[in-house]
Amino acid sequence: MRACSFLHVVLILTPATAAFAGTATITQNISVQLDSAGKLAAPSALSLLSSGLAFTDFAGSLNLQYRFRTTPAGSGAITVRAGADFSPSGGPSLSSAALRYSCSGAGLGTACSGLQTVSASAETPIVQIPGSACTGGGGSCSAADPVSIQLQFSLDNSPQYQTGSYSIPLIFTISTL
Amino acid sequence: MKHKSIVLLSIAAMMLLFVSAAPCQTFGSSGNTNLNVTVEAEASLYVSTANTALTSTGTLFSDYTGTTNFMYKIRTSKTSGAGNIQLKVTTDFSPSGGPSVANPPTAGDALTYSCTVSSPGTPCSGTQTASTTSNTPVGSFGANARSAREGNSGSVAWTLTNDPLYETGSYSAVVTFTVSAT
Repeated sequence: MRACSFLHVVLILTPATAAFAGTATITQNISVQLDSAGKLAAPSALSLLSSGLAFTDFAGSLNLQYRFRTTPAGSGAITVRAGADFSPSGGPSLSSAALRYSCSGAGLGTACSGLQTVSASAETPIVQIPGSACTGGGGSCSAADPVSIQLQFSLDNSPQYQTGSYSIPLIFTISTL
Repeated sequence: MKHKSIVLLSIAAMMLLFVSAAPCQTFGSSGNTNLNVTVEAEASLYVSTANTALTSTGTLFSDYTGTTNFMYKIRTSKTSGAGNIQLKVTTDFSPSGGPSVANPPTAGDALTYSCTVSSPGTPCSGTQTASTTSNTPVGSFGANARSAREGNSGSVAWTLTNDPLYETGSYSAVVTFTVSAT
């Protein structure tokens, strides 16, 4: 279980142990180094469904939430790959490029273009974040924090698949430079 | 009094810390999602010969013949599934005065057919007689039958009696093919 925000500032006020008379001015310099950072949150499961017409592809939409802060010279990205192929065997398989997705509605950054094919051996793009970008606060940053992007998944519905229930793990990864 | 106020502020600060640490969504440098799909039994069929011409060739009053081709896709349940392709004459020959499936001018006049269904289907056996009242078999499938991704082929070879009682003219009937899978 994790906290909701990036950074928490907690003021701890303690009782004064002594009372001083008079006035004094103290200057304290505080500096902070903010590096590029990013986090994401994905739903634990998504069901892909067929529309009802025979052998229409299975489809499902996933909402991926993310937070980002990039340096002026930096950038960031969210990618996805499959942790394994569909299981059990006898059903869909990544070897036939059966699982694809498209991206839309990126709250920050540029969504992937066209249809992407999910692979277990390579990361495929979801969103690209430019430099000097951040989520929340408005202005040069996004207004919302976190922001989200929608992924529309499509899975072949081949007659060759045996009847049954199949599952595949997807791993979303966030990276910053 | 002052000490009491500061203590209250400390408590408030601690409450703020507690509230801000309340869980909302699990954010991290990576995230996992399981995609789940349930593959059901299903079937579809496409009749590629939209209009089948029945023609008489050779000797006089030889029966009319013709072939209707179709493609099918099927997936039956892995353990106890089954499937079939059937046909039915849903509209008898028209106009009247010619052949008829339901009311032929001569007893024994018939629209009959034989079947070809590629694997994993099993074609109907022998010669079948088409009906306007019931479905008749074209092909059948067992459990875990799965066609090719692009579909598999099949055909029905028709024979229609050439009865001299038929008035000259052109006649047509509608035959409906049905495929099902469990």
